[in-house]
Amino acid sequence: MLKIEHLTKVYGDKKAVDDLSLHIRPGEIYGFIGHNGAGKTTTIKSCCGILQYDSGEVFVDGVSMKENPIACKAKIAYIPDNPDLYEFMTGIQFLNFVADIFGVSAGERQERIRKYADEFELTADLAQPVSAYSHGMKQKLAIISALIHEPKLIIMDEPFVGLDPKASHILKGIMRDICDRGGAIFFSTHVLEVAEKLCDKVAIIKGGKLIKSGTMEEVKGDTSLENVFLELEDDNA
Amino acid sequence: MLKTLLKKQIMENFSFFWLDRKHNTVRKGGNLVLWVLLYAFLFLSLSLVFGSVAIMLCEPFVEAKMGWLYFAMMGLMAVAIGAFGSVFNTYASLYQAKDNDMLLAMPIKPGKLLLSRLSGVYVMGLLYELLVMIPVLIIYYVFAKPGIAAVVLSILVTLVISVFILTLSTVLGWVVALISSKTKHKSFITVALSLGFIAGYYYVYGKAYGMIQSVLMAPETAAGFIKRKLYPVYQMGLAADGDLVAFLIFTAMVLALFGVLWLVLEKSYIKITTANKGEAKKAYKERLAKAGTVDGALLRKEAKCFLGSPNYMLNCGLGIVFMLVATVFVLIKGDMVYDIAYSVFGENYGFLSLLVCGAVCLMTCMNDISAPSVSLEGKNIWLLQSFPVTGWQALRAKLSFHLLATSVPLFLFTLSTVFVLKLTPAYAVIVPVVVILFALFMAELGLFINLLTPNLNWTSEIVPIKQSAGVMIVLLGGWVFVAALGGLYYVLMKFISPLLYMLLAAALFLAASAGLFLWLKNKGAKIFEAI
Repeated sequence: MLKIEHLTKVYGDKKAVDDLSLHIRPGEIYGFIGHNGAGKTTTIKSCCGILQYDSGEVFVDGVSMKENPIACKAKIAYIPDNPDLYEFMTGIQFLNFVADIFGVSAGERQERIRKYADEFELTADLAQPVSAYSHGMKQKLAIISALIHEPKLIIMDEPFVGLDPKASHILKGIMRDICDRGGAIFFSTHVLEVAEKLCDKVAIIKGGKLIKSGTMEEVKGDTSLENVFLELEDDNA
Repeated sequence: MLKTLLKKQIMENFSFFWLDRKHNTVRKGGNLVLWVLLYAFLFLSLSLVFGSVAIMLCEPFVEAKMGWLYFAMMGLMAVAIGAFGSVFNTYASLYQAKDNDMLLAMPIKPGKLLLSRLSGVYVMGLLYELLVMIPVLIIYYVFAKPGIAAVVLSILVTLVISVFILTLSTVLGWVVALISSKTKHKSFITVALSLGFIAGYYYVYGKAYGMIQSVLMAPETAAGFIKRKLYPVYQMGLAADGDLVAFLIFTAMVLALFGVLWLVLEKSYIKITTANKGEAKKAYKERLAKAGTVDGALLRKEAKCFLGSPNYMLNCGLGIVFMLVATVFVLIKGDMVYDIAYSVFGENYGFLSLLVCGAVCLMTCMNDISAPSVSLEGKNIWLLQSFPVTGWQALRAKLSFHLLATSVPLFLFTLSTVFVLKLTPAYAVIVPVVVILFALFMAELGLFINLLTPNLNWTSEIVPIKQSAGVMIVLLGGWVFVAALGGLYYVLMKFISPLLYMLLAAALFLAASAGLFLWLKNKGAKIFEAI
């Protein structure tokens, strides 16, 4: 579903992402782990077509992001770490805006908005301007907007930050449900316990380079993901 | 701490000089000098306008030993310009800065925070005041040849006037904030209050020329009026003319006024800044929404962005109000407009048509909606960049909204004027063509400049709206461009008919618009996608 091949992104003379390759298959929840500044967000933004990379390639469902970014973006939903949304819209206006952009029919959007807004307990606030939303509410709205066009691939940057425990639990369920239906999830997180419980595969990045990846069992073996992560950090220091 | 806060505020105010937002780098060397020179040129061009008024007044008053009246008149003008220039960013700067929460959470006394915010408003007011006062002072020094003491006092009075401007701007900003904190319809109230202020301002402005002429005809009457009815202005004039006692009186009055304002502001600042905006929670009722097109969604988004921001509407859409008011005036007072036009210009349809074009184009320059539109995406830019829309689709929506918002009042005003003046068919066709092509050119120019100088990292929306190079260049540069075209016709009028001149102007606007269109569609779209 998402194939990253030799991705390299340079800022000035610093390689933020250095020859990174990953393959996220349909049905997989793929965790992306690394310390602050490791290159997670740069990788994620490159995969979403927000950042233009210097070399390598990103394929979404077999389509090149470089060659056909619009077709790729139509299959993706992206949720950033900080959900800056249009504050001059109400919640429902924002959802309808996103639905229009992705060409979701009136009936489908109504059904999905009702379903996800009810699940995240945001229905009562949909008529409020986004400017009145708390960080967590904005995060929920960003998640609902990401789900509104039933994307094949969801790319998320720290999706659990700002969510209350119930919303986190619901999101985890939705992630698993999407993958069960043949979709894929690629997300970054600092919460290793969440990654360990939720992910089918995991990749660890440091200094822009991929230092380990594979199934959860391959990466952590008998120990915990936290121990592996800390050991790898020390080894590559 | 106060020093740090003031430094941060001034850095923010003047960041457009030294910070290249597009490349996230600091401008240095020749690049910085060029940028400063560009702003200096704009400043100088506007100063010349006020300088021409100052020259008209200075010599007769100085010769009549009434230098104080010169300063009183020009000081009032400086106050009006200074307050008009800074008043629209006062509310946003004082109460709506995006770093409010961060700074309020720090161990900073509210007074210090308020003072740092006021410094930003003060600097803007001072800059606008200096547009008037620099030529006023220079011309006074040339004609009156005052001693050192009088020179020092005149400079000090200029600084005291800037405090008065700050007081005036802040009072209005405070009133807007107070009302906004207690009302649901914040945007509407802000716009209504500001439009009321603008209407008052232009009423006075409309009367200004007549007032200046009256004062020149009978300076003693004006002097008597100011002495009796406008005592502080009288003292201001005397002080700038070298009267130390008057300076002390004027300064004491201004500082006392500011002191009272400070006490009120300091007491209410935190309360207003952190107030719940008074918006009752609106109940959500599920309705079957109509599915729309991508272009429609993007266009509606631009409209919501514009209509949701009083700052955006007032600073970048004032031409709409002017054109609508002018349309109503022309339709109601059609006979009077016709009589005046034909008594002055006879049946010179060509020249009249040129004047109509010039007037509409000048008002069109006041609609610079597209000029800050890319910067206004701010931190939301990720949305359009991650959605399946091309950069060109996003830019086209910005351009379309600008043109939609401008073209309706533009056509109404142009057609009503053409109708009232009973222009011949040829001119009735060419005038709307020229002005709509000019509007298209200005919309594209605004977008073009904003793409070259984007600023997505603002803490107050007033920064991209009011303090950006693009807006300044489109507004002021547009006026200068229209004036230059008028001047060019004056030079060429013996060799070229008005109709041919307008055809050439239309061709020029069309060619420039076509060039900008191609640039926006290709290079501009790529810049937007990678911004």
